[in-house]
Amino acid sequence: MTDKQPQSRTIMVVGGGIAGITAAVEAAEAGYDVVMVEKSPTLGGRVAQMNRYFPKLCHPTCGLEINYQRIKTSKRINLFTLSTVAAVKGSAGAYTVTVKTEPRFVKPNCTACGDCAQVAETAIADPFNYGMKTVKAAWLPHTMAFPMRYVVAPEVVRTPEGERIKAACKIGAVDLDDQGASFDLEVGAIVWATGWKPYPAANLTAYRWAELPNVITNVEMERLASPDGPTGGRIVRPSDGAVPKRVALIQCAGSRDLNHLGYCSRICCLASMKHAAYVREQVAEAEVDVYYIDLRAHDKLESFMRRLKADPQVRFVKSKPARIEAGAEDNPVVCGENTLTRDVYAQPYDLVVLATGMQASVEGDGRLAGSYDDYGFVFTEGETIGAGVASGPLDVSMSVQSATAAACKAIQVVSGVRG
Amino acid sequence: MNALSPTPTKKYDLSFARWVYRNVDGGDRLALCMQCGTCSGSCPIGAQMDFGPRKLFMMIRAGMKEEVLSSNSMAACVSCYNCVVRCPRKVPVKYILQSLFTVAVREGYAQSVDSDNARFARAFWWSAAKFGRTDERLVTARFYFSYGLSAGFKKSMANLAIAKGMVKAKRMHLGLPHTCKNAGELRKILAKAAEIEARHAT
Ligand SMILES: Cc1cc2nc3c(=O)[nH]c(=O)nc-3n(C[C@H](O)[C@H](O)[C@H](O)COP(=O)(O)OP(=O)(O)OC[C@H]3O[C@@H](n4cnc5c(N)ncnc54)[C@H](O)[C@@H]3O)c2cc1C
Repeated sequence: MTDKQPQSRTIMVVGGGIAGITAAVEAAEAGYDVVMVEKSPTLGGRVAQMNRYFPKLCHPTCGLEINYQRIKTSKRINLFTLSTVAAVKGSAGAYTVTVKTEPRFVKPNCTACGDCAQVAETAIADPFNYGMKTVKAAWLPHTMAFPMRYVVAPEVVRTPEGERIKAACKIGAVDLDDQGASFDLEVGAIVWATGWKPYPAANLTAYRWAELPNVITNVEMERLASPDGPTGGRIVRPSDGAVPKRVALIQCAGSRDLNHLGYCSRICCLASMKHAAYVREQVAEAEVDVYYIDLRAHDKLESFMRRLKADPQVRFVKSKPARIEAGAEDNPVVCGENTLTRDVYAQPYDLVVLATGMQASVEGDGRLAGSYDDYGFVFTEGETIGAGVASGPLDVSMSVQSATAAACKAIQVVSGVRG
Repeated sequence: MNALSPTPTKKYDLSFARWVYRNVDGGDRLALCMQCGTCSGSCPIGAQMDFGPRKLFMMIRAGMKEEVLSSNSMAACVSCYNCVVRCPRKVPVKYILQSLFTVAVREGYAQSVDSDNARFARAFWWSAAKFGRTDERLVTARFYFSYGLSAGFKKSMANLAIAKGMVKAKRMHLGLPHTCKNAGELRKILAKAAEIEARHAT
């Protein structure tokens, strides 16, 4: 407790993934004004990039849609997309936050009709699909985008193509003079919900993700399996589009490894169970081998793993593979020691999926949150409030719980209960 | 200095493991091994080892001193360092094997004492201690003839062409071995080292 009275009762939430959305609606519904700052053109974060998510294997729409409704009906939430925090001054109760907004070149009156995309030609790598496909220079970030608004790529702005895109919009929503903005906001508390990024698979040199086309990561697998993904939801080999019959899932690709991520990312074992299920649902004859150190089905999710263990076409191999080699017909060959039988194996597969872990995305963003743990996650103490994976490797339900707790802490700060 | 033998009356004996943690180079990190198999899977000659590093480490923890020290695993290591760079717990696998190898030689375990590596190390050390330098010709000869007279002769003949090539390229010389300056100083250093080692052994 301090005798200092908070000067602003507004709560800022940085990051608009499932955690940031939750913190924002919880605080707003409790009667507090909220400013949301989201780096990408849309809310939803990584959850929107999943095909389905455990525990119930829902489509991401389930969780996101209801929250979008809560945001729409709330008069207290102000959302800034394509925005990041550039600087934080002051202290709890009275922060001055500098927000920087990148130009979208599309105004709020956009109806998402798609006329602009019809005339766009330049192809750019689609960040939503981890660059596995391209989008045209005027595009909707994804089918569940919120706000439901197109984006025009800066690459085409001062070109004839840009002018054609502008002309195609019947309601004049394309604004090629958009300069973006930089402005200061006074807020009383900041919730950091900046989430995670996949650990770079290229760092795992022995697994050769960068060289071997049929070695992919778990986040790429989510996109492959998604109906709105690069293959329309068909799980196929990137090299030749063939349906994979033998699939390897490699756990702890980077996690629990002092050379990479020193911690367990907690969700990858279950994410891989999901991937085994995706493959088995699509390809009746497919055989899936899961390579693991230990299987960690946290929380109440043991039953999901048991279900897959009962499937005779899903095999569990206790081994952290040592390396992957290039085999015939672009088949990656997984090599290592089976630690139960002590057999040294070299097993060819049609497709190998690396279960890469989650790394805090705040790392390298200027460390504005103030307090971090040894792994770069926001550490909630004193003035610092973290939520979701920004604060540690959590699944969706745990992220939502931590976001509710964060909203509660922020409310305490701005109402002078603690600070 | 002897590696402790586990007490047979106890079912699960950690005394050998603890001895290794304390006395073997890098042994303190052995406790962090999570038995993932990366080392054994990475080992280019793992198939020739009695036990791969992962299994050997588990045997250490299980107190199987005899089996560990009488295995060929330590002597077979070729120091490629794949295990060291890949180990997710930063266990210095190769260094531990090498240090265990020294223990096994010192305690007279035949697999280690008679191994190629130990024979070569003895020949190398003989030259280094005597001349302050290694003499390719004498080290090789001493290494070959450690297998006996006829085996030594056979090995020498089989490699004669290589030796000739090396002489021609001035990589091996005939005549008296090169020596270092101040051989007396070297002997004093070695005597001191022996004294320190003896002190630590008690
Ligand atoms: C392969 C895989 C599968 C998974 N499957 C499941 C599953 O089935 N079920 C489950 O419960 N969990 C699953 N997870 C975990 C799940 O993805 C996370 O729990 C969830 O994404 C956490 O949400 P979040 O809001 O904390 O972070 P994120 O989803 O990462 O959202 C963070 C948001 O912050 C934004 N942001 C980042 N930096 C900044 C910045 N500097 N300024 C402003 N905004 C910023 C981002 O653009 C993003 O919108 C899976 C994870 C992986 C790797």
